[in-house]
Amino acid sequence: MNDKGMSEIVKGISRIVFPFILLYGLSLILYGHITPGGGFSGGVVITGGFVLLLLAFGKGYVFRILPVNIAKALDSAGALGFLAIALLGFLSSSFFYNLLPKGYIFHLWSAGTIILSNIMIGLKIASGLFVAIAVLSMARLIHTKEGIKYKQSRTTEEEDQ
Amino acid sequence: MIVYIIVALMFFTGLYGIIAKKNIIKIIVGINIVGYASNLLFILLGYKWGGIAPIITEDMTAVYFIEKAVDPLPQALVLTSIVIDLAFVAFLAALAIRLFERYGTFDMDKIRRLKG
Amino acid sequence: MSHLIILPVAIYLGAAFLIALLYKKDEKLAGVAAISFVLLSAIASIISGIDVFTNGKILYFAGGWERPLGIVLMLDPLSSIFHIMTNIIAFFVILYSTVYMKKYTWTPYFYTLFMIMLAGMNGILISMDIFNIYVFFEVASIASFILVAFGLRAEELEASMKYTVMSFIASTMILFAIALIYGFTGTLNIPAFMSETSGLSPVHLWFIAGLLFSGFALKTALVPFHTWLPDAHSMAPAPVSAILSGMFIKVVGLYVLIRITANIFIVLPQIRILLLLFGALSMVFGGLMAYGQKNIKRLYAYSTISQVGYCAVGLGIGGYLGSLGVLMHFIAHALSKSLLFLNIGAIEYINGTTEAEQLQGLNDSMPATTLFGSTGMLGIAGVPPMGNFWSKLIIIIAAVKAGYTGIAVLCIIVAVITLGYFLKLQRTVYYKKVENPVKKEAPKMLLFPMGCLALLVFISGILLVPGIKDKTLDKAVSVMENFSYMDIKIGENR
Repeated sequence: MNDKGMSEIVKGISRIVFPFILLYGLSLILYGHITPGGGFSGGVVITGGFVLLLLAFGKGYVFRILPVNIAKALDSAGALGFLAIALLGFLSSSFFYNLLPKGYIFHLWSAGTIILSNIMIGLKIASGLFVAIAVLSMARLIHTKEGIKYKQSRTTEEEDQ
Repeated sequence: MIVYIIVALMFFTGLYGIIAKKNIIKIIVGINIVGYASNLLFILLGYKWGGIAPIITEDMTAVYFIEKAVDPLPQALVLTSIVIDLAFVAFLAALAIRLFERYGTFDMDKIRRLKG
Repeated sequence: MSHLIILPVAIYLGAAFLIALLYKKDEKLAGVAAISFVLLSAIASIISGIDVFTNGKILYFAGGWERPLGIVLMLDPLSSIFHIMTNIIAFFVILYSTVYMKKYTWTPYFYTLFMIMLAGMNGILISMDIFNIYVFFEVASIASFILVAFGLRAEELEASMKYTVMSFIASTMILFAIALIYGFTGTLNIPAFMSETSGLSPVHLWFIAGLLFSGFALKTALVPFHTWLPDAHSMAPAPVSAILSGMFIKVVGLYVLIRITANIFIVLPQIRILLLLFGALSMVFGGLMAYGQKNIKRLYAYSTISQVGYCAVGLGIGGYLGSLGVLMHFIAHALSKSLLFLNIGAIEYINGTTEAEQLQGLNDSMPATTLFGSTGMLGIAGVPPMGNFWSKLIIIIAAVKAGYTGIAVLCIIVAVITLGYFLKLQRTVYYKKVENPVKKEAPKMLLFPMGCLALLVFISGILLVPGIKDKTLDKAVSVMENFSYMDIKIGENR
């Protein structure tokens, strides 16, 4: 166990809570069309889980679970997937046309393409916000005798060593 | 009426932060407050006194829903504007870090190489 | 066929994230992909533009939800002119930036941001829903803030900071106005709101109009709200300055102002007086400030303020001639200002500076760049065969006819000032004799887009030839003069 990050109590609690946060985010995304929630809120909750890990364990641990490069790729993939769902409407009548079967109200499958869009938005928001926070977290101030200095590690790998 | 006054107060508090404060971080906080004020105004305009949340449940008839529920459209619009505010704040935070790297300060008075 | 109007937005968004996903390591492939995507959407915009000019406006209902429930997208002759111009200039600029951006790192992300900005601009032009305009406006704006700071030099970051904070105030004003519009009328659809405006009380109407007006005037950089423009436009990388100065402020600012004054608030003709005032102020102020600038890019930025003032004045005068003058001036200025920014970029690419004092006698070392640069300068200054001359003339005639003689005189004075500072600049920077010049021309890929734009600047006056004017500009002017959606039935496609 490395000595980076916060105390063992925080680490232990974070480790237990993290899966539940992910689960809650996923449920927000998947049920976004019948209850409050949706892609954006769910994505933000998922990012919140990763931020918790980032605070508790330090950057190295989080970037091993979800490398920034993969998060960037997921970000673009989410946007492209959303666009693809929108373009699917061209097959029928217009952009964003909801051409999948609607299913039954109050069931999980009840709004055609909306649930797919929510999943894509959730993917994009979760990974995009994670990248933003990861990039912001790479800067730090170093207090020296001459005053405050600024340091930014250029890559995520450099930070870890 | 009092709620609208509170919105206006919030707006001017944020505007004061943006205009009068010199620290970039305080400007960002001001921007956040102004954003919340406009979102709040939007929500209030769609609100009905004694209304219920615009979520339809299985034991609810459509007529009852339309009569009681608050307007859901402003809430959807506010969600969009929250996302936009998020983008603004994230970008400004990154910009503040970079500015500190270049100028060594958060003071807008000292960040002044462009003029004329 | 009507899918074509949504296609540019879809192409640009797809291109942005495809480049970010696939080509983020390979600058060359990213450039080729960007060029081909912009070409595709330029073709789409031209085809849909031809359709609009021959058959009238196209309505499109996103998601199949028809009026008044859904979001209406519309391309009419007015927005079609802006649409075509945006995509054509974007094509030349992206051609140019494949070479120019080599001195920056992370070029694939430049293309990504550029595509997102173009998507936002195209989105504004096809929206007929005020909140949709706001969202696309923000998409384009946020991409442009990042593009201004792309070089990460200290001055660029500072310019971007100013620009972002000012823009945030503008967008808050717009959001407040949208909230009030929704609160008072219960609709966000522009045509539906238009028909409700007469029922509002004057205080409410003025409040909404004032908020919307000042928000978009800040993005157009009319004078009391102009402080961010010279910094942002002079510090951005040259291709970004070209698109920002040439098209961006016209699409996010001028186009929406035209819609507001000419189409939405018809019951409030006093708003035109405001436009006249701010327009005249920015015309004079921009011209005078440009006269004293040492940095060429900054001079061009101030000149943009001054020229956009002309557009605002034309819009303020109104009537057939005023509207025609606005559109013609917009077209001519967009072409020549983007040409000038590309030109100064090429000079900077070779000589490494944009200060007027350090650049002398470029005619001997870079003849082709000099030729294109002088074409652009004479174009903006309004020398007869070019479009700018005719547009200024039309605006002046319109001012005299409408009884604003003082404004007409101001227009003439500012035109002389403009000619003055461009001639001064030309005499030292381009045509001063220097001893033993070294010939070092800009690369061909930088020269080609400039050459095409210079040609377009030279022939832009052709749009006013009677046969062509009837088919293009007159149709757009008729949209600005009497705009009515009452003839559109729900469910109709045109």
